[in-house]
Amino acid sequence: MKELIKFIAQALVDHPDQVQVKEIEGEQTSVIELKVAKEDLGKVIGKQGRTARAMRTILSAASTKIRKRSVLEIIE
Amino acid sequence: MEFLEFEGKTTEEAIENACDHFHLPAESLEIEIVSVGSPGLFGLGSKPAKVRAALREAPETDLLAEARETLENILAKMGETARVEARHEDDRITLSIESADAGLLIGKQGQTLEALQYLVSKIISKKSRRKVRLVIDIESYRARHSEALTQMALKYGEKVKKTGKPVTLNPMNPHDRRIVHLALQGDSELKTLSRGEGLYKKVVVYPVKKKEEPEDAGLT
Repeated sequence: MKELIKFIAQALVDHPDQVQVKEIEGEQTSVIELKVAKEDLGKVIGKQGRTARAMRTILSAASTKIRKRSVLEIIE
Repeated sequence: MEFLEFEGKTTEEAIENACDHFHLPAESLEIEIVSVGSPGLFGLGSKPAKVRAALREAPETDLLAEARETLENILAKMGETARVEARHEDDRITLSIESADAGLLIGKQGQTLEALQYLVSKIISKKSRRKVRLVIDIESYRARHSEALTQMALKYGEKVKKTGKPVTLNPMNPHDRRIVHLALQGDSELKTLSRGEGLYKKVVVYPVKKKEEPEDAGLT
């Protein structure tokens, strides 16, 4: 899951080297924390949060497959 | 893309200078004319023509491969074994996914497919530095979906005509709303409007009253 978000985020931002993704695994739910350069924050959130929402949708589809739940948190 | 400026007596000459500099024919360059210049009068007040030139971006075929790889990569990271086929259709790129798990990739009301399409378009647009129109399809979902929407629109259209009362449909994205509007466009007894804010709006189907003025004529 971590790799998925990392790949998408790096392709969207201007500073891919500053993309950091951390996965905090729980028993059923994993929290994926995404950190990007300040200037890139808008790029991963998108207009009215559209990009962030799209990433969450894909993440939950991928999680269903392995019978888990994943939450994406974008950290400032 | 980095632009360099070139000068010449005429724009043609300036473009030639640009080609000499890059050692490439004009077709492989992105050229913008800054000023056409003027020959002046008896050599007085003449201004050189100026153009800006840069290397043209990777050709479309590469973009196609790029789009396919991006989607394949995302699918692989989702744990999906899928084959992606890419092709040009008019001015857009169509990516078709072949996967055993189409239902999962389509998602509720096509949400997942929509998300994939949105993200891949964004990534490819960023790479090519211009807006790329890209459609992702899976097991001809797009065609089936638009057919289903058209049928639904017609069904509600009939209902509105029978009852004479407007019907509000579920919130839909712009593409789906367009299909609904188009489906009922030809019917002079009906009128459709989008209501709401943001990306997902509701389509309202109104009956058009024949003799008297429609009550909410102000909305049109």
